Amino acid sequence: MNRLRSYFLAPAVFFLVLLFVTPLGIILGYSLLSRGAYGGVELPVTVENYLRLFDPLYALILIRSVAYAAIATLVCLLLGFPLALFIARSQKHKTLFLALVVIPFWTSFLVRTYAWMFLLRDTGLINFTLQRLGILSEPLPLLYNAFAVVLGLVYGYLPFMVLPIYAALEKLDRAVLEAAADLGARPFEALWRVTLPLSMPGIRAGTVLVFISCLGSYLTPDLLGGGKTIMIGTLIQNQFTSARNWPFGSALSLVLMAIVMLMVLSALRRQEDRL
Amino acid sequence: MKRRSFFLAVPGLAGCWPAKKRRLNVLNWSDYVAPETLPDFEHEFGVYVRYGTFESAEEMLARVMSGNSGWDVVFPPNYYIHPMVLMGLLAPLDHSRLTHLDALQKEFQAPPWDKGLRWSVPYMYGATGILFQAGLEPRPQAWADLWRESWRGRMTMLDDPAEVLGACLKKLGYSLNSGDENQLLAAKAEALRQKPLLRAYANETIRDQLVAGELLAAQVWRSTAMRAMQAAPGKLNFAYPQEGFPLYCDTVAILRESKRQELAHAFLNYLLRPQVARRIGETKLESTVNAEARKLLPATLREDPVLYPPAEVLERGEWFEPLPARVQQIRDRIWTEIKSA
Repeated sequence: MNRLRSYFLAPAVFFLVLLFVTPLGIILGYSLLSRGAYGGVELPVTVENYLRLFDPLYALILIRSVAYAAIATLVCLLLGFPLALFIARSQKHKTLFLALVVIPFWTSFLVRTYAWMFLLRDTGLINFTLQRLGILSEPLPLLYNAFAVVLGLVYGYLPFMVLPIYAALEKLDRAVLEAAADLGARPFEALWRVTLPLSMPGIRAGTVLVFISCLGSYLTPDLLGGGKTIMIGTLIQNQFTSARNWPFGSALSLVLMAIVMLMVLSALRRQEDRL
Repeated sequence: MKRRSFFLAVPGLAGCWPAKKRRLNVLNWSDYVAPETLPDFEHEFGVYVRYGTFESAEEMLARVMSGNSGWDVVFPPNYYIHPMVLMGLLAPLDHSRLTHLDALQKEFQAPPWDKGLRWSVPYMYGATGILFQAGLEPRPQAWADLWRESWRGRMTMLDDPAEVLGACLKKLGYSLNSGDENQLLAAKAEALRQKPLLRAYANETIRDQLVAGELLAAQVWRSTAMRAMQAAPGKLNFAYPQEGFPLYCDTVAILRESKRQELAHAFLNYLLRPQVARRIGETKLESTVNAEARKLLPATLREDPVLYPPAEVLERGEWFEPLPARVQQIRDRIWTEIKSA
């Protein structure tokens, strides 16, 4: 029996090692080497790449990225929870609503970001319409600022919030809510004290997913933010392109990964405590 | 189809694939040949061209660095030739097989990055300058104009450290390849002073905003400028800044790892043919380095003052050069500080 099980596990282990452990090992190795003059890595082995992270410049970028990701995650939660609740409670068209949430994923994220640029520009659809209607005389500065970055992040990762919360709400037993009502809870009270706590696993999963995705994003800050602030994702990308410093880029990636890992672990642990 | 017959069919299909034809593997920037360039070559030489593309020079280098990448011909920018030679990636060119070399414009027969054309053949060259609204007063003529308070929020610079620092260095009268720490710090101060005046650091994505008149002036690559000016004839103008400006040249080179040196040389020589180079120059809106090809261009292109500026303008240009690792590191830190400010 055990032997049979290990046979079945073999492909999974093989792919995990090939596609996950090996690249991670290579990144770790790179992060401990010196930079090659034109990209690549060279000897000697060094920890300098990690020491550079204590430079306030890079710490500040990390903090800023965490802040942006946190704000975007919060907005996603505030928008995503009611949406998930609405879909879970809707009698008809449930599949249609879910499809509408997922459909944007059929198009490349880059194309959708360009579409946002088209919407937000000075002569873009939004400003054009508002000006035509006489609501505005001057175009609103919608593009190339923090607002646009958060908007882009929220737009891009909202489904990651909606789907897990929906899954949690879907499993929720109606009888519990009826019981709450029978015991005198008003609808809002039932939502706050029954539905919300019971959907926590979904909320936690959604929060972690959205936060991680936002933290690593570099397309949105560059294109919608106009490249005027630098986020950790862009910093890492720069190390592999214009700066040609693969070891430092690898060290940055690993530190980012470690931070994300800690967060996921702490979220999971809290979940286990509850169970 | 039954499964068995399907498996029988697969090797059969593989046999139809042009495996018998010789294959040449070409790695180039995306959209950088004329539509018929490759089909004509395939037809004439009875070969199959596998054409791969890259989006940045760093990507190109990363892909061929291993020395067994499977590519034969690559298109590095001029400032990558020296590093690639040092890394042993390029094969020396056999001039006896490049019979059309003399079609090249004089300056490109002995360019500063590869004096004897031992490793590379120039392909097309470009520049960086200022694209602005035609009616703009005063007319931008220098990098310093992109620091104008009155155009606050309606200017952009490229999202590229070499270009932004290059413009700042040129504004201060230094070389755009400067590795001098004091000069670089002065350039950083200029960039920091300029940042609040800018709408964004962006590359090709701002083309539509220039066409729509949202931006007044922007630092752009000339290829972007040409496309924007084509989209809105008469609306936009391009200036080669007075303080000097960057020049870059894309080249064609053969990888040392290539086992098809002869065919690769034939391809390079084919690209040098005036008729072939002319079609590329006609469709790609960059400047050809091929003097014979230029003569064949339609007059509107041949005499275009932006694509083929007079010699006294070109004299102000400076070629990008490879930078030592130490300088690269200082510049990256400065760039991160500028972006972080």
